[in-house]
Amino acid sequence: MAILTCKGLSKRFGGTQALDQVDITIEPGRIVGLLGPNGSGKTTLIKLANGLLTPSEGEIRICGLVPGKESHACVSYLPERTAIPTWMSVTQLLDFYQDFYADFRRDAAEEMLAHLNIPPKQRIKQMSKGTREKVQLIMVMSRSAKLYLLDEPIGGVDPATRDYILSTIIGNYNPDAAVVISTHLIADVEKVLDDVVFINQGRIMLQASVDQIREEKGMSVDALFREVFKC
Amino acid sequence: MLRKLIKHEFRATGRVMLPLFLVLLVTSVGANFSARGMLDTRYKVLDVLGSLLVMAFAIAIFGVCVMSVVLMVQRFYKNLLQDEGYVMMTLPVSVHQHIWSKLIVSAVWFALTIVVVCLAACIVAFDVGFVQELIQGFRELFRELSQYLNAYYAINGTVIILEFLAICFVGCCVMCLQFYAALAMGHSSPNHKMAWSVLWFFALQFATQLLAGSLLALLDESWLHHLLLAWTEGWHLSGTAATQLMMLIVILGEVLYGAVYYFLTTWFLKKRLNLE
Repeated sequence: MAILTCKGLSKRFGGTQALDQVDITIEPGRIVGLLGPNGSGKTTLIKLANGLLTPSEGEIRICGLVPGKESHACVSYLPERTAIPTWMSVTQLLDFYQDFYADFRRDAAEEMLAHLNIPPKQRIKQMSKGTREKVQLIMVMSRSAKLYLLDEPIGGVDPATRDYILSTIIGNYNPDAAVVISTHLIADVEKVLDDVVFINQGRIMLQASVDQIREEKGMSVDALFREVFKC
Repeated sequence: MLRKLIKHEFRATGRVMLPLFLVLLVTSVGANFSARGMLDTRYKVLDVLGSLLVMAFAIAIFGVCVMSVVLMVQRFYKNLLQDEGYVMMTLPVSVHQHIWSKLIVSAVWFALTIVVVCLAACIVAFDVGFVQELIQGFRELFRELSQYLNAYYAINGTVIILEFLAICFVGCCVMCLQFYAALAMGHSSPNHKMAWSVLWFFALQFATQLLAGSLLALLDESWLHHLLLAWTEGWHLSGTAATQLMMLIVILGEVLYGAVYYFLTTWFLKKRLNLE
């Protein structure tokens, strides 16, 4: 069964069409790049999948469920901004995730935190922006979820941190799950992707596997992206 | 899940409220020392110190009361409608559980604030001459009154006091819900979310007062007035029974307002959530 399906999904904000008749199916075991320029509708699509927005038209389903309380239990979501409560210490944050998610692997999270030399007593607000983002990613990737929705996980961080983030994603995701990575930094994520979805002005431009693009078009995803979205 | 939400809500709010309660109790001890002698001393330094301690106590009472309300608003706003909302609103819990957890924890802090303020007042009054005399006076007054009171008045009096406390408690919860509804409605706007929230708060306040005012006006020589008269014809209510009926109607009215605010809050959080 598909993990994420969208049928005729549209979202309007006043007079602005953020998503227009989007049809997507994402199967388990795939790492999918949701690629598009800024303002193309990537975040809107991810917010709809998380129930943070309601569709204007069409439907979106996660593991066959309408986004809500039940679907949240099988989705691990990394927002584009640091959203973990900054007043908490690392231990309190671990308690928080353990309390609410049955699939949270505390030992895996503690191991990753120890690897980064982050003291358990340290408060989130005492950390640098980069460390906060890493802690948030560790919490998200320490779950054995069915779907990981990662919104701009490598945006605004240095190249070394980008490598750390990508290796954390690859090294920790549940192999039976689907991973959706939304980004416009194609070259950095291309090596980890199985499939890509190109989105522009709220419309799906292309949905294909990375191998298919390389074989049929004879170019990398980055090169194809530059060609499709040429200004 | 509600229990877990409440646990983490207490964790988040307790780190602010508990130190404030401690400060209030410490300043009340200071104010007690001051009332017991420092203000009457012939040493100017002690006199000034005594005044400062009393002032600190007054400020602490004001601070605790204001903070319990500010914290109630701030937790809803920051935890559900700001950045933390991305984590909270994607937890496997319902919007109803979110609102109830906030409401229950706020109500507990309101109740504890009243208890701690009363405790602080008792500490200040401990072994202070004129307060002891005042308490003695009240004791004598109650002793005199008890000679004329029978079980009927004692029970009714207690029930009326409990109903009054219920009105205050439900009123606090309704106030929370009014803030929640205004914030949820204001934050569904694309821009100027806080300005819209303030506007919605006053709009809700205006609508509530208009409705209550209209209802009161209707009770005076109108179809409703005659309907109620016809309906209650043959009722022979005593003064205390009528008071209790009135208090129950007030509680019911508050619950009704609360239900409307609750519905608005849940609807806007479910259907019109618009995190930045």
